[in-house]
Amino acid sequence: MTTNADAFLAALRLSDSFLPVGGYTASYGLEQYVNEDRIEDGDALQELIAAYLRRVVGPCETVALANAHEASATDDLEALLAVDERLHAVTMPREFRESSTKAGAKLCELLEQTDSRRTAGDPTGNSGGKVAGDGGAGCGEPVDLESTFADAIAADETPGHYPVVFGVVAQARGVSRLEACLAHAHAFVTGLLGAAQRLGRFGHTAIQTVLADLRPTIRTVCERHVDDEPRAMASFAPLAEIMGMRHERAERRLFMS
Amino acid sequence: MGYRDVAKVGLGGPVGSGKTAMVKCLVPRLVEKGYEVGVIANDIMTQEDADVFRESFADLLPEDLVEGVETGACPHTGIREDPSMNLAAIDEFTERHPELDVVLVESGGDNLAATFNPELADYFLFVISVAEGEDIPRKRGPGVTQADLLVVNKTDLAPHVDADLDVIEADASEVRGEDPFVFTNCKNGDGVDETLDHIEREVLFA
Repeated sequence: MTTNADAFLAALRLSDSFLPVGGYTASYGLEQYVNEDRIEDGDALQELIAAYLRRVVGPCETVALANAHEASATDDLEALLAVDERLHAVTMPREFRESSTKAGAKLCELLEQTDSRRTAGDPTGNSGGKVAGDGGAGCGEPVDLESTFADAIAADETPGHYPVVFGVVAQARGVSRLEACLAHAHAFVTGLLGAAQRLGRFGHTAIQTVLADLRPTIRTVCERHVDDEPRAMASFAPLAEIMGMRHERAERRLFMS
Repeated sequence: MGYRDVAKVGLGGPVGSGKTAMVKCLVPRLVEKGYEVGVIANDIMTQEDADVFRESFADLLPEDLVEGVETGACPHTGIREDPSMNLAAIDEFTERHPELDVVLVESGGDNLAATFNPELADYFLFVISVAEGEDIPRKRGPGVTQADLLVVNKTDLAPHVDADLDVIEADASEVRGEDPFVFTNCKNGDGVDETLDHIEREVLFA
């Protein structure tokens, strides 16, 4: 696990709702569950989020993230693009895909602006990439995988899903593969819990209880899928996907998904 | 004795809808009925509402039962995501006044999505004004649809702002289903007793 303070801080930054990548606008179908009175209390909320973890975040997003992390570590652009393409194919609801790709693009844009001073050997920056010279955005040809991938996303050559971008940037900042998966899953859960609190009438203690109770599930799911091959990537959450699709046509919406 | 041992009534709603005026109407009536009352005013930057209450209730409430809570710019965070400072203020009320019956918690002016954390408010009034547009109930914000009681205030202004009370009533009925709503005019007290009846029946007698 983490032995590097900079990597630990990077993981905290990436899993913080303070990270401005649009997470506040996504409910991943939760709004539709609430609209249809399918979530009445904390127990039902916990059960739903656990199902998301076991059937979507774990076998789908965690597999994508872990393999993107691996591709970044081995500087394998082809493998990275294949992971991104596969995640796009197995994410059924349009709004889920759009939330994910918009957030992925935003994370790339953000880091390009904020972390552009990273240089090889800079302990506060890129520990895994191969940044040339001054490494500044717009200063010469990018040679690290993160920049190449960001350019491909900006050029619409690849969807740029959030878990894939997350895996690349986490690896480049020294966050281990499992820790990156845990950070992403934790952020997914806190994002959904925050959405639930804005949608329904859940107390802050009830929300924190759900978060605490979900911790073993987050860990189990990440540990189970962190070593899966890309071809294992799949999701099976038909009701969540139907909710996500119905949300596209919902008359009143607070969230984009 | 702490915040769990006292009835808590939240008042939320947009800026200028009459939340402060409603608190000023409710407190004398509650005191007259023999309830011991505390008041918290959430404000974005100032203690102005709390100061208004301290002055207004100088003869009704002990000064230490009126408190202002600054909410860090976003009013809804203090009443929904993290109500810790409000709950701490209520804990202080109950420590100093163990016989306290009810605390009115006024939110800072916010948007139609603002709702109260159920641990902060046992009962939640969402106050809107006819002057903000007759279409507010129709927009179905969570404040309008999830509040225990929707208060449509400033009915006296309706003819001056082209707001049709019949339209507002029909829309409120449609979006709230069986849940109640009242028309009020805090300036002359119309509808305030009805509002108080709801609070007594649902919170204080419950």
